[in-house]
Amino acid sequence: MGTGKRITLQQAAEIIKDGSSLTFSGFTIWRRPMAIVFELIRQQRRGLHLIEVNGGPHTEFLVGAGCVDIWESCWVGHELYGKYGANLSRKVGNKEIIVEDYSHAEMMFRFAAGAAGAPYAVTQTSLGTDIHNPEYDMLGRAGKRDGKRIPKHKYLFTDDPFYGAGPQVLVPAAKADIAIMCVQQVGEEGTVRVNGQYYSDPEAARTADITIVMAEEIVPEEYLRREADRNTITSFEVDYIVECPYGAHPTGMFGRYDVDGAFLKDFYGRTRTQEGFDDFAKEWIMGLDHLGYLEKLGWPRMLTLKANTALNYSTGVKRGQ
Amino acid sequence: MGREYANPEEYGLADLLCCAASREVQDNEIVFAGTGLPMVAIMLAQKTHAPNLKLIFEAGTLDGRPPAIPTSVGDARCEMGASRASGLYDAFSIAQRGYVDLGFLGGAEVDEYGNVNTTCIGDYLNPELRLTGSGGNPDINSFAKRTVFIMVHEKRRFTPNVSYITSPGWRVKKWPEGDFVHRRELYGAAYRGGPSAVISTAGVFRFDGETGRIYLDTCHPGKTPQEITEMCHFDLDISRVSGETLPPTREELHFIHDVLDPEQIFIPKVTKG
Repeated sequence: MGTGKRITLQQAAEIIKDGSSLTFSGFTIWRRPMAIVFELIRQQRRGLHLIEVNGGPHTEFLVGAGCVDIWESCWVGHELYGKYGANLSRKVGNKEIIVEDYSHAEMMFRFAAGAAGAPYAVTQTSLGTDIHNPEYDMLGRAGKRDGKRIPKHKYLFTDDPFYGAGPQVLVPAAKADIAIMCVQQVGEEGTVRVNGQYYSDPEAARTADITIVMAEEIVPEEYLRREADRNTITSFEVDYIVECPYGAHPTGMFGRYDVDGAFLKDFYGRTRTQEGFDDFAKEWIMGLDHLGYLEKLGWPRMLTLKANTALNYSTGVKRGQ
Repeated sequence: MGREYANPEEYGLADLLCCAASREVQDNEIVFAGTGLPMVAIMLAQKTHAPNLKLIFEAGTLDGRPPAIPTSVGDARCEMGASRASGLYDAFSIAQRGYVDLGFLGGAEVDEYGNVNTTCIGDYLNPELRLTGSGGNPDINSFAKRTVFIMVHEKRRFTPNVSYITSPGWRVKKWPEGDFVHRRELYGAAYRGGPSAVISTAGVFRFDGETGRIYLDTCHPGKTPQEITEMCHFDLDISRVSGETLPPTREELHFIHDVLDPEQIFIPKVTKG
Protein backbone atom coordinates (compact mmCIF):
# COMPACT_ATOMS: atom_id res chain seq x y z
CA MET A 1 0.00 0.00 0.00
CA GLY A 2 1.50 3.32 -1.03
CA THR A 3 0.92 6.34 1.17
CA GLY A 4 2.76 8.91 -0.92
CA LYS A 5 5.40 9.25 1.81
CA ARG A 6 8.19 7.77 -0.29
CA ILE A 7 10.52 10.39 -1.76
CA THR A 8 14.06 10.55 -3.14
CA LEU A 9 17.19 11.78 -1.42
CA GLN A 10 17.15 14.96 -3.53
CA GLN A 11 13.50 15.63 -2.66
CA ALA A 12 14.23 15.08 1.03
CA ALA A 13 16.96 17.72 0.95
CA GLU A 14 14.65 20.11 -0.93
CA ILE A 15 12.12 20.00 1.94
CA ILE A 16 14.76 21.65 4.11
CA LYS A 17 14.79 25.38 3.32
CA ASP A 18 17.37 28.06 4.01
CA GLY A 19 16.92 29.05 7.66
CA SER A 20 15.21 25.79 8.73
CA SER A 21 15.83 24.41 12.20
CA LEU A 22 16.96 20.80 12.10
CA THR A 23 17.56 17.90 14.43
CA PHE A 24 18.90 14.41 13.77
CA SER A 25 18.84 10.77 14.82
CA GLY A 26 21.82 8.96 16.28
CA PHE A 27 24.58 9.46 18.80
CA THR A 28 28.03 11.00 18.10
CA ILE A 29 29.37 8.67 15.34
CA TRP A 30 26.41 6.32 15.04
CA ARG A 31 23.30 6.38 12.78
CA ARG A 32 23.66 9.91 11.43
CA PRO A 33 21.72 10.79 8.23
CA MET A 34 24.88 11.48 6.23
CA ALA A 35 23.48 10.92 2.72
CA ILE A 36 20.91 13.72 3.23
CA VAL A 37 23.56 15.90 4.88
CA PHE A 38 25.80 15.48 1.81
CA GLU A 39 22.85 16.34 -0.43
CA LEU A 40 22.17 19.52 1.61
CA ILE A 41 25.79 20.53 1.07
CA ARG A 42 25.45 19.90 -2.71
CA GLN A 43 22.30 22.04 -2.71
CA GLN A 44 24.22 24.77 -0.80
CA ARG A 45 21.66 25.21 1.95
CA ARG A 46 22.33 28.28 4.15
CA GLY A 47 21.33 29.70 7.53
CA LEU A 48 20.43 26.39 9.19
CA HIS A 49 19.76 26.27 12.93
CA LEU A 50 20.86 22.91 14.33
CA ILE A 51 19.35 21.92 17.64
CA GLU A 52 20.72 18.58 18.74
CA VAL A 53 20.96 16.35 21.80
CA ASN A 54 24.58 15.93 20.67
CA GLY A 55 26.56 16.58 17.52
CA GLY A 56 28.93 14.52 15.42
CA PRO A 57 30.37 14.15 11.92
CA HIS A 58 27.11 15.33 10.30
CA THR A 59 27.39 18.59 12.30
CA GLU A 60 30.99 19.03 11.28
CA PHE A 61 30.17 18.51 7.58
CA LEU A 62 27.28 21.02 7.62
CA VAL A 63 29.26 23.56 9.67
CA GLY A 64 32.37 23.21 7.52
CA ALA A 65 30.33 23.74 4.35
CA GLY A 66 28.94 27.02 5.71
CA CYS A 67 25.33 25.75 5.93
CA VAL A 68 24.88 26.55 9.64
CA ASP A 69 24.32 29.88 11.46
CA ILE A 70 23.24 28.58 14.89
CA TRP A 71 24.24 25.43 16.78
CA GLU A 72 22.49 24.59 20.07
CA SER A 73 23.81 21.46 21.68
CA CYS A 74 26.39 20.10 24.09
CA TRP A 75 29.13 18.17 22.29
CA VAL A 76 30.74 17.78 18.91
CA GLY A 77 33.60 15.58 17.77
CA HIS A 78 34.37 12.20 16.21
CA GLU A 79 35.10 10.22 19.39
CA LEU A 80 38.33 8.23 19.02
CA TYR A 81 38.77 9.43 15.42
CA GLY A 82 38.90 13.19 16.05
CA LYS A 83 39.04 14.75 19.49
CA TYR A 84 36.81 17.77 18.86
CA GLY A 85 34.89 19.50 16.09
CA ALA A 86 37.63 21.31 14.19
CA ASN A 87 35.23 23.05 11.80
CA LEU A 88 32.96 24.28 14.58
CA SER A 89 36.00 25.40 16.58
CA ARG A 90 37.32 27.41 13.64
CA LYS A 91 33.96 29.07 12.98
CA VAL A 92 33.40 29.87 16.66
CA GLY A 93 36.83 31.54 16.70
CA ASN A 94 35.95 33.57 13.59
CA LYS A 95 32.51 34.40 15.04
CA GLU A 96 30.87 32.93 11.94
CA ILE A 97 28.49 30.83 14.01
CA ILE A 98 26.43 31.25 17.19
CA VAL A 99 26.88 28.41 19.67
CA GLU A 100 24.51 27.95 22.60
CA ASP A 101 25.87 25.52 25.20
CA TYR A 102 23.76 23.26 27.35
CA SER A 103 24.65 20.04 29.14
CA HIS A 104 23.81 16.69 27.59
CA ALA A 105 21.03 15.91 30.08
CA GLU A 106 19.63 19.43 29.68
CA MET A 107 19.42 18.93 25.91
CA MET A 108 17.82 15.52 26.38
CA PHE A 109 15.24 16.91 28.80
CA ARG A 110 14.59 19.82 26.40
CA PHE A 111 13.75 17.30 23.69
CA ALA A 112 11.61 15.24 26.06
CA ALA A 113 9.61 18.41 26.85
CA GLY A 114 9.30 19.24 23.15
CA ALA A 115 8.14 15.70 22.43
CA ALA A 116 5.56 15.87 25.21
CA GLY A 117 4.18 19.22 24.09
CA ALA A 118 5.34 20.82 27.36
CA PRO A 119 6.87 24.31 27.25
CA TYR A 120 9.82 23.39 29.47
CA ALA A 121 11.47 20.71 31.54
CA VAL A 122 12.79 20.86 35.08
CA THR A 123 16.12 19.42 36.19
CA GLN A 124 18.83 19.80 38.82
CA THR A 125 21.76 19.12 36.55
CA SER A 126 24.72 21.43 35.94
CA LEU A 127 23.98 23.79 38.84
CA GLY A 128 27.05 25.90 39.59
CA THR A 129 28.55 25.69 36.12
CA ASP A 130 29.18 28.39 33.51
CA ILE A 131 26.43 26.84 31.39
CA HIS A 132 24.19 28.97 33.63
CA ASN A 133 26.39 32.07 33.45
CA PRO A 134 23.96 34.78 32.25
CA GLU A 135 26.79 36.50 30.37
CA TYR A 136 27.07 33.43 28.15
CA ASP A 137 23.55 33.50 26.72
CA MET A 138 24.75 33.74 23.13
CA LEU A 139 21.34 33.78 21.40
CA GLY A 140 20.26 36.50 23.83
CA ARG A 141 23.40 38.52 23.11
CA ALA A 142 22.64 38.23 19.38
CA GLY A 143 19.05 39.46 19.92
CA LYS A 144 17.61 36.20 18.60
CA ARG A 145 15.28 35.30 21.49
CA ASP A 146 11.91 35.88 19.82
CA GLY A 147 9.90 33.40 21.92
CA LYS A 148 8.91 31.45 18.80
CA ARG A 149 11.47 28.91 17.57
CA ILE A 150 14.03 30.36 19.98
CA PRO A 151 12.85 30.57 23.60
CA LYS A 152 12.68 33.90 25.45
CA HIS A 153 15.24 32.70 28.01
CA LYS A 154 18.12 30.25 27.87
CA TYR A 155 17.03 28.83 31.25
CA LEU A 156 15.33 30.03 34.44
CA PHE A 157 15.89 29.11 38.10
CA THR A 158 13.14 28.26 40.51
CA ASP A 159 12.88 26.56 43.90
CA ASP A 160 10.88 23.35 44.07
CA PRO A 161 7.38 24.58 45.04
CA PHE A 162 6.04 21.08 45.80
CA TYR A 163 8.52 19.20 48.00
CA GLY A 164 11.03 21.89 48.94
CA ALA A 165 13.85 20.08 47.15
CA GLY A 166 15.70 23.34 46.53
CA PRO A 167 17.10 24.95 43.37
CA GLN A 168 15.79 23.71 40.05
CA VAL A 169 16.62 24.69 36.48
CA LEU A 170 13.84 25.21 33.97
CA VAL A 171 15.06 24.51 30.44
CA PRO A 172 12.92 25.43 27.43
CA ALA A 173 11.42 22.73 25.20
CA ALA A 174 13.36 22.02 22.00
CA LYS A 175 11.50 23.03 18.85
CA ALA A 176 12.62 22.05 15.37
CA ASP A 177 11.12 22.40 11.91
CA ILE A 178 12.49 19.11 10.67
CA ALA A 179 13.93 15.91 12.13
CA ILE A 180 16.05 13.78 9.82
CA MET A 181 16.36 10.21 10.99
CA CYS A 182 18.59 7.39 9.79
CA VAL A 183 17.45 3.90 10.82
CA GLN A 184 17.56 0.26 9.80
CA GLN A 185 13.94 -0.21 8.76
CA VAL A 186 10.87 1.87 7.97
CA GLY A 187 7.50 0.54 6.82
CA GLU A 188 5.67 1.85 3.75
CA GLU A 189 3.38 3.85 6.06
CA GLY A 190 6.20 5.21 8.19
CA THR A 191 6.49 2.88 11.18
CA VAL A 192 10.12 2.89 12.31
CA ARG A 193 12.04 -0.02 13.80
CA VAL A 194 15.37 0.93 15.30
CA ASN A 195 17.65 -1.97 16.20
CA GLY A 196 19.98 -1.51 19.15
CA GLN A 197 20.03 1.57 21.34
CA TYR A 198 17.53 4.17 20.14
CA TYR A 199 19.53 7.08 21.65
CA SER A 200 17.20 10.13 21.58
CA ASP A 201 15.46 9.25 18.31
CA PRO A 202 11.84 8.98 19.57
CA GLU A 203 12.03 12.40 21.24
CA ALA A 204 13.82 14.02 18.26
CA ALA A 205 11.22 12.71 15.80
CA ARG A 206 8.31 13.83 17.95
CA THR A 207 9.71 17.29 18.71
CA ALA A 208 9.92 18.29 15.05
CA ASP A 209 7.04 19.49 12.85
CA ILE A 210 8.19 17.38 9.91
CA THR A 211 9.96 14.04 10.27
CA ILE A 212 11.92 12.55 7.38
CA VAL A 213 13.09 8.97 7.84
CA MET A 214 15.94 7.64 5.75
CA ALA A 215 16.24 3.87 6.12
CA GLU A 216 18.56 1.10 5.02
CA GLU A 217 15.41 -0.51 3.67
CA ILE A 218 11.72 0.18 3.25
CA VAL A 219 9.85 -2.96 4.32
CA PRO A 220 6.20 -4.01 4.15
CA GLU A 221 4.31 -2.17 6.87
CA GLU A 222 2.52 -5.40 7.75
CA TYR A 223 5.85 -7.06 8.57
CA LEU A 224 6.64 -4.45 11.24
CA ARG A 225 3.11 -4.59 12.68
CA ARG A 226 3.40 -8.31 13.43
CA GLU A 227 5.64 -7.41 16.38
CA ALA A 228 4.62 -3.88 17.34
CA ASP A 229 6.53 -4.10 20.63
CA ARG A 230 9.78 -4.02 18.66
CA ASN A 231 8.93 -0.74 16.89
CA THR A 232 10.31 2.65 17.92
CA ILE A 233 8.35 5.44 16.20
CA THR A 234 4.72 5.36 15.02
CA SER A 235 3.64 5.67 11.39
CA PHE A 236 1.77 8.94 11.92
CA GLU A 237 4.79 10.74 13.37
CA VAL A 238 6.66 10.21 10.11
CA ASP A 239 5.97 12.43 7.09
CA TYR A 240 8.43 11.24 4.48
CA ILE A 241 10.45 8.08 3.91
CA VAL A 242 13.58 7.59 1.83
CA GLU A 243 15.27 4.28 1.04
CA CYS A 244 19.03 4.70 1.14
CA PRO A 245 21.33 1.76 1.90
CA TYR A 246 24.59 2.77 3.61
CA GLY A 247 23.07 6.22 4.16
CA ALA A 248 24.83 6.63 7.51
CA HIS A 249 28.38 6.11 6.21
CA PRO A 250 30.96 7.12 7.54
CA THR A 251 28.99 6.75 10.81
CA GLY A 252 27.90 3.28 11.91
CA MET A 253 24.58 1.43 11.80
CA PHE A 254 23.94 -1.21 14.49
CA GLY A 255 23.64 -4.64 12.94
CA ARG A 256 24.47 -3.42 9.42
CA TYR A 257 27.91 -1.78 9.30
CA ASP A 258 30.54 -0.31 11.61
CA VAL A 259 31.89 3.24 11.92
CA ASP A 260 34.45 4.02 9.19
CA GLY A 261 37.12 5.30 11.57
CA ALA A 262 39.75 5.76 8.86
CA PHE A 263 37.38 8.02 6.89
CA LEU A 264 36.58 10.10 9.99
CA LYS A 265 40.24 10.38 10.96
CA ASP A 266 41.07 11.59 7.45
CA PHE A 267 38.18 14.09 7.59
CA TYR A 268 39.27 15.41 11.00
CA GLY A 269 42.91 15.71 9.97
CA ARG A 270 42.25 17.40 6.65
CA THR A 271 39.46 19.78 7.63
CA ARG A 272 41.19 21.75 10.38
CA THR A 273 41.51 24.55 7.82
CA GLN A 274 38.75 25.86 5.54
CA GLU A 275 40.86 25.09 2.48
CA GLY A 276 41.18 21.53 3.72
CA PHE A 277 37.43 21.26 4.15
CA ASP A 278 36.73 22.66 0.67
CA ASP A 279 39.20 20.19 -0.78
CA PHE A 280 37.60 17.29 1.11
CA ALA A 281 34.10 18.32 -0.03
CA LYS A 282 35.32 18.57 -3.63
CA GLU A 283 36.68 15.05 -3.41
CA TRP A 284 33.86 13.30 -1.53
CA ILE A 285 30.64 15.31 -1.96
CA MET A 286 30.50 17.66 -4.92
CA GLY A 287 29.70 16.19 -8.31
CA LEU A 288 28.68 12.86 -6.79
CA ASP A 289 25.33 11.34 -5.90
CA HIS A 290 24.90 8.66 -3.22
CA LEU A 291 25.67 5.81 -5.63
CA GLY A 292 28.72 7.63 -6.93
CA TYR A 293 29.87 8.09 -3.32
CA LEU A 294 29.47 4.38 -2.58
CA GLU A 295 31.24 3.47 -5.80
CA LYS A 296 34.12 5.72 -4.79
CA LEU A 297 34.30 4.00 -1.39
CA GLY A 298 34.31 0.65 -3.13
CA TRP A 299 33.26 -2.87 -2.18
CA PRO A 300 36.38 -3.92 -0.25
CA ARG A 301 35.90 -1.07 2.19
CA MET A 302 32.18 -1.66 2.61
CA LEU A 303 32.68 -5.41 3.14
CA THR A 304 35.23 -4.71 5.87
CA LEU A 305 32.71 -2.49 7.64
CA LYS A 306 29.87 -4.99 7.27
CA ALA A 307 28.52 -6.14 10.63
CA ASN A 308 28.52 -9.74 11.74
CA THR A 309 24.82 -10.64 12.05
CA ALA A 310 25.26 -12.45 15.38
CA LEU A 311 27.38 -9.74 17.02
CA ASN A 312 25.86 -6.68 15.27
CA TYR A 313 29.31 -5.16 14.69
CA SER A 314 32.15 -5.80 12.26
CA THR A 315 34.89 -8.20 13.26
CA GLY A 316 37.03 -7.20 10.28
CA VAL A 317 37.39 -3.49 10.83
CA LYS A 318 40.78 -2.25 12.07
CA ARG A 319 40.22 -0.01 15.06
CA GLY A 320 43.45 0.31 17.04
CA GLN A 321 47.19 0.81 16.52
CA MET B 1 51.43 -14.03 36.54
CA GLY B 2 48.93 -13.67 39.38
CA ARG B 3 48.78 -10.78 41.74
CA GLU B 4 52.42 -9.81 41.99
CA TYR B 5 53.29 -6.28 40.90
CA ALA B 6 54.93 -5.73 37.53
CA ASN B 7 58.39 -4.24 37.18
CA PRO B 8 58.71 -0.72 35.72
CA GLU B 9 59.85 -1.99 32.31
CA GLU B 10 56.74 -4.15 31.96
CA TYR B 11 54.13 -1.37 31.83
CA GLY B 12 53.48 2.09 30.45
CA LEU B 13 51.85 5.20 31.87
CA ALA B 14 48.49 4.35 30.30
CA ASP B 15 48.57 0.96 32.07
CA LEU B 16 49.31 2.66 35.40
CA LEU B 17 46.44 5.15 34.95
CA CYS B 18 44.05 2.42 33.94
CA CYS B 19 44.89 0.31 37.00
CA ALA B 20 44.78 3.27 39.40
CA ALA B 21 41.35 4.19 38.00
CA SER B 22 40.12 0.62 38.15
CA ARG B 23 40.97 0.47 41.88
CA GLU B 24 38.55 3.35 42.56
CA VAL B 25 35.66 0.99 41.76
CA GLN B 26 34.05 -1.11 44.48
CA ASP B 27 32.11 -4.28 43.85
CA ASN B 28 28.33 -4.00 43.35
CA GLU B 29 28.52 -0.33 42.40
CA ILE B 30 26.56 1.25 39.56
CA VAL B 31 29.13 2.99 37.39
CA PHE B 32 28.60 5.50 34.61
CA ALA B 33 31.51 5.59 32.17
CA GLY B 34 32.66 7.75 29.29
CA THR B 35 34.56 6.67 26.20
CA GLY B 36 38.26 5.77 26.30
CA LEU B 37 40.48 4.96 29.24
CA PRO B 38 37.56 5.11 31.74
CA MET B 39 35.85 2.31 29.83
CA VAL B 40 38.94 0.09 29.96
CA ALA B 41 39.41 0.87 33.67
CA ILE B 42 35.86 -0.13 34.54
CA MET B 43 35.91 -3.26 32.44
CA LEU B 44 39.20 -4.14 34.16
CA ALA B 45 37.53 -3.75 37.56
CA GLN B 46 34.74 -6.02 36.32
CA LYS B 47 37.32 -8.68 35.39
CA THR B 48 39.24 -8.42 38.68
CA HIS B 49 37.88 -7.17 42.02
CA ALA B 50 34.39 -5.93 41.11
CA PRO B 51 32.64 -8.70 39.15
CA ASN B 52 29.19 -7.45 40.16
CA LEU B 53 29.50 -3.83 39.11
CA LYS B 54 26.73 -2.49 36.88
CA LEU B 55 27.82 -0.55 33.85
CA ILE B 56 25.81 2.33 32.37
CA PHE B 57 26.73 4.07 29.13
CA GLU B 58 25.00 7.36 28.48
CA ALA B 59 23.89 6.47 24.94
CA GLY B 60 21.48 4.01 26.53
CA THR B 61 22.92 0.59 27.40
CA LEU B 62 22.19 -0.43 30.95
CA ASP B 63 24.20 -3.13 32.70
CA GLY B 64 26.03 -4.22 29.56
CA ARG B 65 28.83 -6.79 29.37
CA PRO B 66 30.69 -5.88 26.18
CA PRO B 67 33.05 -8.65 25.02
CA ALA B 68 35.14 -6.21 22.95
CA ILE B 69 36.08 -2.68 23.91
CA PRO B 70 33.69 -0.12 22.38
CA THR B 71 35.15 2.98 20.70
CA SER B 72 32.17 5.09 21.77
CA VAL B 73 29.35 4.75 24.27
CA GLY B 74 27.01 4.62 21.24
CA ASP B 75 28.90 1.60 19.87
CA ALA B 76 27.08 -1.61 18.90
CA ARG B 77 29.54 -3.43 21.20
CA CYS B 78 28.10 -1.71 24.29
CA GLU B 79 24.87 -3.64 24.32
CA MET B 80 26.18 -7.17 24.18
CA GLY B 81 24.79 -8.92 27.24
CA ALA B 82 23.01 -5.78 28.46
CA SER B 83 20.09 -5.85 30.83
CA ARG B 84 18.43 -3.27 28.62
CA ALA B 85 19.22 -1.29 25.47
CA SER B 86 17.37 2.00 25.57
CA GLY B 87 18.29 5.64 25.09
CA LEU B 88 19.63 8.80 26.65
CA TYR B 89 16.43 9.71 28.41
CA ASP B 90 16.65 6.54 30.48
CA ALA B 91 20.36 6.88 31.17
CA PHE B 92 20.11 10.48 32.40
CA SER B 93 16.87 9.88 34.31
CA ILE B 94 18.53 7.01 36.15
CA ALA B 95 21.42 9.31 37.02
CA GLN B 96 19.16 12.16 38.16
CA ARG B 97 17.11 9.69 40.22
CA GLY B 98 20.25 8.86 42.18
CA TYR B 99 21.19 5.33 41.14
CA VAL B 100 24.77 6.12 40.12
CA ASP B 101 27.54 5.45 42.64
CA LEU B 102 30.54 6.39 40.56
CA GLY B 103 31.19 8.34 37.38
CA PHE B 104 34.39 8.23 35.35
CA LEU B 105 35.18 11.37 33.37
CA GLY B 106 37.89 13.23 31.51
CA GLY B 107 38.73 16.93 31.34
CA ALA B 108 41.02 19.49 29.73
CA GLU B 109 41.46 21.71 32.83
CA VAL B 110 40.77 21.28 36.54
CA ASP B 111 40.87 23.80 39.40
CA GLU B 112 41.72 23.21 43.06
CA TYR B 113 38.04 22.52 43.91
CA GLY B 114 37.53 19.95 41.14
CA ASN B 115 35.71 22.20 38.69
CA VAL B 116 36.45 20.85 35.25
CA ASN B 117 36.50 22.45 31.81
CA THR B 118 35.83 20.63 28.53
CA THR B 119 34.29 23.57 26.65
CA CYS B 120 36.95 26.05 25.53
CA ILE B 121 40.43 27.39 26.20
CA GLY B 122 40.66 31.14 26.79
CA ASP B 123 37.85 33.67 27.22
CA TYR B 124 34.53 32.00 26.39
CA LEU B 125 33.40 35.01 24.35
CA ASN B 126 36.69 35.05 22.38
CA PRO B 127 38.02 31.52 22.68
CA GLU B 128 41.49 30.45 21.63
CA LEU B 129 40.23 26.93 21.07
CA ARG B 130 36.77 25.48 21.20
CA LEU B 131 36.81 21.95 22.65
CA THR B 132 34.14 19.25 22.41
CA GLY B 133 31.72 20.91 24.83
CA SER B 134 30.11 19.48 27.92
CA GLY B 135 28.68 16.19 26.74
CA GLY B 136 27.46 14.35 29.82
CA ASN B 137 30.37 15.52 31.99
CA PRO B 138 28.36 18.01 34.13
CA ASP B 139 25.42 15.64 34.36
CA ILE B 140 27.39 12.72 35.73
CA ASN B 141 29.33 15.05 37.99
CA SER B 142 26.06 16.56 39.24
CA PHE B 143 24.38 13.28 40.04
CA ALA B 144 26.91 10.55 40.89
CA LYS B 145 27.90 9.98 44.53
CA ARG B 146 31.58 10.09 43.48
CA THR B 147 33.35 11.05 40.29
CA VAL B 148 36.87 10.26 39.18
CA PHE B 149 38.67 12.30 36.55
CA ILE B 150 41.44 10.94 34.37
CA MET B 151 43.61 13.70 32.92
CA VAL B 152 46.86 14.50 31.16
CA HIS B 153 49.04 16.43 33.63
CA GLU B 154 50.35 19.74 32.31
CA LYS B 155 50.90 22.84 34.43
CA ARG B 156 48.42 24.91 32.38
CA ARG B 157 45.72 22.28 32.96
CA PHE B 158 46.00 22.41 36.79
CA THR B 159 44.89 25.98 37.24
CA PRO B 160 43.34 28.15 40.00
CA ASN B 161 40.65 29.24 37.51
CA VAL B 162 39.46 27.09 34.64
CA SER B 163 38.48 29.01 31.46
CA TYR B 164 34.90 27.76 31.76
CA ILE B 165 33.29 25.65 34.48
CA THR B 166 31.75 22.87 32.42
CA SER B 167 31.35 20.41 35.27
CA PRO B 168 30.71 21.22 38.94
CA GLY B 169 33.33 20.61 41.63
CA TRP B 170 33.14 21.24 45.38
CA ARG B 171 32.94 25.03 45.27
CA VAL B 172 30.68 26.18 42.48
CA LYS B 173 29.13 29.39 41.21
CA LYS B 174 25.73 30.43 42.47
CA TRP B 175 24.04 32.30 39.66
CA PRO B 176 22.93 34.98 38.80
CA GLU B 177 25.72 36.65 40.81
CA GLY B 178 28.27 33.90 40.33
CA ASP B 179 29.48 33.85 43.97
CA PHE B 180 31.35 30.70 44.94
CA VAL B 181 29.48 28.47 47.41
CA HIS B 182 29.94 24.91 48.63
CA ARG B 183 28.26 22.45 46.33
CA ARG B 184 26.11 21.12 49.20
CA GLU B 185 24.46 24.52 49.56
CA LEU B 186 23.51 24.79 45.89
CA TYR B 187 22.38 21.25 45.17
CA GLY B 188 19.91 20.92 48.06
CA ALA B 189 18.05 17.61 47.94
CA ALA B 190 19.97 16.62 44.78
CA TYR B 191 23.29 16.72 46.68
CA ARG B 192 24.92 13.30 46.79
CA GLY B 193 28.64 13.97 46.67
CA GLY B 194 31.19 15.18 44.18
CA PRO B 195 34.64 14.67 42.69
CA SER B 196 36.55 12.09 44.73
CA ALA B 197 39.77 11.74 42.77
CA VAL B 198 41.81 13.09 39.90
CA ILE B 199 44.16 10.56 38.37
CA SER B 200 46.65 12.49 36.29
CA THR B 201 49.72 11.37 34.40
CA ALA B 202 51.74 12.54 37.46
CA GLY B 203 49.83 11.30 40.48
CA VAL B 204 46.56 10.62 42.26
CA PHE B 205 44.81 13.59 43.88
CA ARG B 206 41.91 13.60 46.31
CA PHE B 207 39.67 16.25 47.87
CA ASP B 208 39.27 17.31 51.50
CA GLY B 209 35.86 16.29 52.79
CA GLU B 210 35.16 19.63 54.45
CA THR B 211 36.87 22.31 52.37
CA GLY B 212 36.66 20.48 49.04
CA ARG B 213 40.29 21.44 48.29
CA ILE B 214 42.48 19.14 46.25
CA TYR B 215 45.52 17.41 47.78
CA LEU B 216 48.14 15.02 46.50
CA ASP B 217 47.62 11.45 47.67
CA THR B 218 50.14 9.35 45.73
CA CYS B 219 52.93 10.12 43.27
CA HIS B 220 53.33 7.91 40.23
CA PRO B 221 56.59 5.90 40.36
CA GLY B 222 59.55 8.16 39.63
CA LYS B 223 57.80 11.42 40.56
CA THR B 224 58.34 13.37 43.81
CA PRO B 225 55.78 15.60 45.59
CA GLN B 226 58.06 18.60 44.92
CA GLU B 227 58.08 17.88 41.19
CA ILE B 228 54.31 17.56 41.13
CA THR B 229 53.93 20.84 43.04
CA GLU B 230 55.90 22.46 40.23
CA MET B 231 53.38 21.03 37.78
CA CYS B 232 50.41 22.91 39.30
CA HIS B 233 49.50 26.57 38.90
CA PHE B 234 47.83 26.54 42.31
CA ASP B 235 49.35 25.97 45.72
CA LEU B 236 49.22 22.17 46.00
CA ASP B 237 48.70 20.56 49.41
CA ILE B 238 51.37 17.82 49.71
CA SER B 239 51.03 17.34 53.48
CA ARG B 240 48.98 14.15 53.10
CA VAL B 241 51.02 12.21 50.55
CA SER B 242 50.62 8.53 51.37
CA GLY B 243 53.35 7.17 49.08
CA GLU B 244 53.70 5.94 45.52
CA THR B 245 50.84 4.87 43.24
CA LEU B 246 50.82 1.08 43.22
CA PRO B 247 52.03 -0.36 39.91
CA PRO B 248 49.87 -2.70 37.81
CA THR B 249 49.85 -6.36 38.71
CA ARG B 250 50.76 -8.92 36.05
CA GLU B 251 47.17 -10.12 36.18
CA GLU B 252 45.86 -6.62 35.44
CA LEU B 253 48.29 -6.24 32.53
CA HIS B 254 47.13 -9.57 31.15
CA PHE B 255 43.48 -8.45 31.22
CA ILE B 256 44.25 -5.06 29.65
CA HIS B 257 46.35 -6.34 26.76
CA ASP B 258 45.15 -9.87 26.11
CA VAL B 259 41.45 -9.57 26.91
CA LEU B 260 40.16 -5.99 26.97
CA ASP B 261 42.19 -4.00 24.46
CA PRO B 262 44.19 -6.41 22.31
CA GLU B 263 43.67 -4.07 19.35
CA GLN B 264 45.50 -1.32 21.36
CA ILE B 265 42.70 1.15 20.73
CA PHE B 266 43.16 3.07 23.97
CA ILE B 267 46.19 1.50 25.66
CA PRO B 268 49.38 0.97 23.68
CA LYS B 269 51.42 -2.06 24.64
CA VAL B 270 54.79 -1.08 26.02
CA THR B 271 57.85 -2.88 24.73
CA LYS B 272 60.95 -1.68 26.52
CA GLY B 273 64.43 -2.92 25.81
